[in-house]
Amino acid sequence: MSGWRTLLPNAWYIAAREYRGRIATRSFLLGTILLAAIAFAATESPLLIDYLQGTSQTSVAVYTSLNDLPADAHQVLDSQLNPRTDSSNAHQEFVISWFEGSGENESDVQHDLDEGQFAALLAIDRNAQTGDLTFTLRTDMPSDGRQTGMIQSAVNYLALDDRLARAGVSISAIQTPPSWSVVPLKPSATDEPAKVTSVSGQITSSILSTVLIVLMLMAIITYGTWVAMSVGEEKGSRVMELMLNAATPTQMLAGKVVGNGAAGLTQYGATILAALAGLWAQGPIRQIVFGNGVSSTPPAGLSPAVFAAFIVLFLLGFILYALLYAALGSLVSRQEDIQSATSPLMMLIMSGYFISIFGLSAINETWVVLLSYVPFFTPYLMLARVAMGHVEWWEFSLAIGIMLATIGVALFLAARIYSAGVLLYGQRVGLRQVLKAARVSR
Amino acid sequence: MSLIIDSMSKCFGDVRALDDISLEVRPGEVFGFLGANGAGKTTAMRVVLDILRPDSGTVTWDGRPNTQLPRETWGYLPEERGLYAKMKVLDQLVFFAKLHGVKPRRAEAEARGWLERFRIPEYADRRAEQLSKGNQQKIQFIAAIIHDPQVLLMDEPFTGLDPVNVAMLKEAFLEMRDRGKTLVFSTHQMEQVEELCESIAILDRGKVVVCGSVRDVRRSTGRQVVRVAVEGDSEMPWLGTLDGVLVTRRGQDYVEAEVAHSHNAEAVLQAALDRGCRVRHFEITDPSLEQIFIERVGQMDTSERTLAPKAVPA
Repeated sequence: MSGWRTLLPNAWYIAAREYRGRIATRSFLLGTILLAAIAFAATESPLLIDYLQGTSQTSVAVYTSLNDLPADAHQVLDSQLNPRTDSSNAHQEFVISWFEGSGENESDVQHDLDEGQFAALLAIDRNAQTGDLTFTLRTDMPSDGRQTGMIQSAVNYLALDDRLARAGVSISAIQTPPSWSVVPLKPSATDEPAKVTSVSGQITSSILSTVLIVLMLMAIITYGTWVAMSVGEEKGSRVMELMLNAATPTQMLAGKVVGNGAAGLTQYGATILAALAGLWAQGPIRQIVFGNGVSSTPPAGLSPAVFAAFIVLFLLGFILYALLYAALGSLVSRQEDIQSATSPLMMLIMSGYFISIFGLSAINETWVVLLSYVPFFTPYLMLARVAMGHVEWWEFSLAIGIMLATIGVALFLAARIYSAGVLLYGQRVGLRQVLKAARVSR
Repeated sequence: MSLIIDSMSKCFGDVRALDDISLEVRPGEVFGFLGANGAGKTTAMRVVLDILRPDSGTVTWDGRPNTQLPRETWGYLPEERGLYAKMKVLDQLVFFAKLHGVKPRRAEAEARGWLERFRIPEYADRRAEQLSKGNQQKIQFIAAIIHDPQVLLMDEPFTGLDPVNVAMLKEAFLEMRDRGKTLVFSTHQMEQVEELCESIAILDRGKVVVCGSVRDVRRSTGRQVVRVAVEGDSEMPWLGTLDGVLVTRRGQDYVEAEVAHSHNAEAVLQAALDRGCRVRHFEITDPSLEQIFIERVGQMDTSERTLAPKAVPA
């Protein structure tokens, strides 16, 4: 065992070779372009949705011969059909044309409807006995469609407005919210960091956690497989035999993990840059498409702390799993067998993934907290805990410490399995055989 | 300052790959490792290189155990050839040189220099997969010696090469020896051993059966070999009737026979002349390494080197 003393510079040379070799492959280039394109497109998706909605406008003609509609009838109908959550959003899904009073002829409007100038004709009348408004919608749109539904609920609101007006009450007076305040019982509660407590906030952060966990999972599997492939390639081409005299197994392992990890980070970085560029480009693109700019908002809940935790956990998780990938990769004779040889790892990773997805809904339960200290699950569960709730500094540090210790043990074991495994060719090598060989190898 | 292997054993499961091997390679000599396939040559080299750890025994070079020697002491040309297929030749050589502690700046100069010596400088920027097998082997040889190792171990260096490349590699070989390097190589081609080696060891199933200088090994049998060719009589049936003479091989126009040590080999020449033969060729020599090899390795079990009898159809 040559130990840390002699790890450099050979591990560095190997890492540099691995990195250059990896990023020179066509699959790396295509994969990076694809991921960056997906990231860019994903950040532009709100624009796309707006654009698709923006291009579809529904013209509705409203005909009525009544002259006793509530004074704010136009405004009520318009605000119901074109709700403005965002004041700068100028897009109107419904264009409403009013044909009111005795001057208008319903058959003229009906004619325009038949000509296709309007998608629908809403006729408003009043029931002579109850005095309530009655509505008739003539249209080719499906009667249970979204637009029909929106018109119906707008109309319900108008009818309510009408009834209230006849009772002498203004709807805006009803809608004015009453005074409301919350007095905390314990003053110390305000010292706690702001936790996400609102329902919508919790949903956002659970979506964010899921996304981060999936990103972590994909990265560990993809880049871990790179490490195993690289070992299998060296073994398959027999260049391993030259390497064995040139470097120690520990140097080779460290170099491979660092080199492939750096290549993975490069791909990740390109993807993140594309996403950031996408966020930045939202404004200018919106300017071009819609003629008005809007400031883009970063994903809700992605605080610097969560992002930092993601980076740290990703690096440590990758190193831990990559060492195991390298050890298992050293046991196969041909690259084609890598997939089956690394399937136990895949199961371990997937079980961690499922546990954390289930754990999201029970993030403060004891079993989730305990499992978040198990090094193979820490990358997912600790990340979920950081993103979803409150984690004390010592808790995070403890989990990181456990992971670092496990990585040390994994490096030692993987180097032994590796040095024994790379010399074994032929039949699929059983674990017992490897452990036996590892005992006597350097 | 020799390479000393002392009572080294190594088992793989039930197989004793190396069984109490002891031998010494003197510095600056060319040492041949002979043995059938599976005799333990590759395992012995890997143990010397500290790629494998022996179950027992030690390896020392210049008095220092191999576990404490820097890796750049050794140059190793493995039996299984392999390079990074997608990597450029020059990059690979620089990579291996740097791994062996050559300064990055010097590594490229060394690599280019060796490519020149092998008359393939134009391959520096090609990828390894674009090279012929012979040229790939040259690259591997360069990769093994680029850091100027003290001891060079080569596992079957000549297999799979055409005669032109063999000649070139031999020259590189002898140059390394002239630079004062110690060379150990394994083979089962006896002519090359007789041509290149000063000392040999024959391995059989993990044991050293013969060890020593080539001359001593050939003399050690205590027999002499005579090779006779006479005009007009290629069979020479009388040869076998002489006392103490055993015909071992009949060539196209000569006959080889072994003469027991107690008898005088010149008596064969006398007998030929007595019969009125016109002798074209007469030679007294030691048994060839090939004969010794077959004799020593074959002794143990002849069934391994002969075909099983043909099955008789019922």
